[in-house]
Amino acid sequence: MAEVANINVDDAVLVRQCRQGDSAAMERLILKYQNRIYNVILKICADHDDAAELTQETFVKVIENIDNFQGRSSFYTWAFRIAVNLTLNYCQRNARFGFSSLDAEQVRYNSQPGRVLKEFLSDDSSPDPVAMAENRELCEIAVESLKKLDDAQRAVVVLRDIEDMSYAQIANVLDIELGTVRSRLSRGRKKLRQILEAILQ
Amino acid sequence: MKENPNMDELLSSFIDGELPARQQTEVQRLIAHDEKIAQRLRQLQKCKILLSSLPVTEAPPQILENVKASLAGRTLLVEQPTAFDEHLGARHLLGRKLFAAAAMLGLVGILTAVVYTIVAPTVPQGPVAVEPRELPPKVEVVEPAPIIVVAAPFSGRLELRTSYLSAVVAFINRAIEDNVPSDEWIASDQSDVREPHALICSSESFNLLLAELGNIWDKLDSATLFVDTEVFGQRVVVDAVTAEQIAGIVNQDDSKRRIEVAKDFAVLNNIAEYLPGREILTAIDDTTVGLITPPKPVLTSNQKTIKKSAIGAEADKNVRLTITVTASD
Repeated sequence: MAEVANINVDDAVLVRQCRQGDSAAMERLILKYQNRIYNVILKICADHDDAAELTQETFVKVIENIDNFQGRSSFYTWAFRIAVNLTLNYCQRNARFGFSSLDAEQVRYNSQPGRVLKEFLSDDSSPDPVAMAENRELCEIAVESLKKLDDAQRAVVVLRDIEDMSYAQIANVLDIELGTVRSRLSRGRKKLRQILEAILQ
Repeated sequence: MKENPNMDELLSSFIDGELPARQQTEVQRLIAHDEKIAQRLRQLQKCKILLSSLPVTEAPPQILENVKASLAGRTLLVEQPTAFDEHLGARHLLGRKLFAAAAMLGLVGILTAVVYTIVAPTVPQGPVAVEPRELPPKVEVVEPAPIIVVAAPFSGRLELRTSYLSAVVAFINRAIEDNVPSDEWIASDQSDVREPHALICSSESFNLLLAELGNIWDKLDSATLFVDTEVFGQRVVVDAVTAEQIAGIVNQDDSKRRIEVAKDFAVLNNIAEYLPGREILTAIDDTTVGLITPPKPVLTSNQKTIKKSAIGAEADKNVRLTITVTASD
């Protein structure tokens, strides 16, 4: 992450230099966005090896098609569109997330992680993000709950809640209408809530 | 209060700050007055916090190198076919086109040869046929069968008719004895004038004989020369032949030319026969005109002419002539 922080060159300049065959500019673009793109892909596909391979493929496509980038959106949005589309296509080809009932979720988490979740949800005080990130049980519940969403809902939720994109950006990345973003996000969150409630019950 | 069916969507958008100001105010009012909605909002916020608190996982360090390696590999794969297409591929294609064109030409040539062999008329092998010529009635026309022209000795027959039979025969015998070696001729029986003189002699001897025979030509009523061809029974007949014409025919280098000259004389003599006054014939007979003149012997010294021996002249015996003398009716 320190490498990303050190890169302050504007994306448009890097893109122009990259188009001119500047390999250093290409490397800077990759280093600048590789963690964010890898992180989003990992949250959607939930596999480190697949995420690494899809991230690599994303950047290869970005560099190969950089002459086609017209600048209507930011480079960041354009690159994320490529990454999410690649990942969703990959998930459709390799559907591995089994569908389990909410009762099964209840049985599965009727242990230490379930109690941790209950404490988290019942605490009305503002949670400490750092403390939560260090709580492995909560992170595992979050990741596993995320897996229960279908691909389209998961992508919208990840882009919004993890990548903190606006609705307009999400619509641009996924090439869908703003209302579709709104409804998918709503249904995804509702399902997450139901999954978590099932764990608590 | 009846719940708005889009309440979840409103709450979701509310926590994201994506609602217009009017709806944002309306949701705030609902939350304040409805604990159930407020509880649902808190649950949504907790979910959002749960997900957003997930730790950021750093990408594997080898991604950059892998991307560069992958791009380099694809560049090679892209560039290599391009070079091949522009250079080697073009040459290969051109070579194949030329080869195909050559093969097509060869095939067309073979087909043409095959078709020609099938449809072409058969050409007879062997001697060349000479086109028959339309000759006047008195000329013995050679049959249209092909005349084979090859290098061969002169062969023919000379038929003389005269009112002075005895004198002419005696003159001929003496001329032969004086000019032709004895082993080159067979003398006629003086008692039978129809017995021919058969000569097989050299051109030199024959020319000497012919030059002497020219002295009695005015005693002849007719003289006809039959020139043999290679085809048995086919001859060129020259009526009213003169001694000079005989020399002109016999002294040709090859039999083809000999036959052509004989035909020319045959036609010429026949035409002249029909012309009033026989001016042409007279003109032809006139030696001053420069037509073919038989070589006459000329003594260049006091030494008498030495007759060639039979053995030495054997190789030069290229004149075979039979002379017959008959009395005029």
